[in-house]
Amino acid sequence: MINRLRELRTARGWSQGELAERLGVSRQTVNAIETEKYDPSLPLAFTIAGLFTLAIEDIFRPNGSGAAPVAARPPDRGFID
Amino acid sequence: MNDCSDAYTPRDTRNLRIFNVWAISAAVMFVAATILISRGIVARGPLAWILAIANLLLTLLAVRAYMVFLRAADELLRRIQLEGLALGFGAGAVFMLSYRLFERLGALKLDSADPFVVMAIFWAIGQYIGLRRYAPGMER
Repeated sequence: MINRLRELRTARGWSQGELAERLGVSRQTVNAIETEKYDPSLPLAFTIAGLFTLAIEDIFRPNGSGAAPVAARPPDRGFID
Repeated sequence: MNDCSDAYTPRDTRNLRIFNVWAISAAVMFVAATILISRGIVARGPLAWILAIANLLLTLLAVRAYMVFLRAADELLRRIQLEGLALGFGAGAVFMLSYRLFERLGALKLDSADPFVVMAIFWAIGQYIGLRRYAPGMER
């Protein structure tokens, strides 16, 4: 999943910590979403979309062509990485 | 510079502090009760039972505090905790199932509580790996 969270946040002049406070999550979570290490849950995605008054698909979209895969699966990850 | 506090919301910090208080209390009580009972400082009788029950209650309170912490935790922190618990549980299960065979082959006999140490160590390692994997950078 790729997202525009960093772009939207910096456009408002917010730090990661400020955005985290507004969303009720940790700064680590905001950073992990921005760097695409972590995909947020659906409730958090809705909260983010609500905060920026945008639709979820205006902020998040799947990697690749843009069409959502029929069966999304988490990225392959090594045992320790 | 990043620090561990970046991984926790104020609520997580508060809940984790409560868990730590109960967990440390339970650990101290376990050690004290074990020494007092096993060395015969407290005679086996009502007082020994009170010590054992107090240890049980403190341990249950620590487990309850951890459940509260986990259920209220930031969603990424919950994922990190889950990965830590999985590694701890897996390592504990492997140790318990395999070491019994080594014991039969002559390896040192262990106490039944010892696998918990393995679980706790690997739980901590799992948390460290998770926190490092998602560690935020310099940007605040």
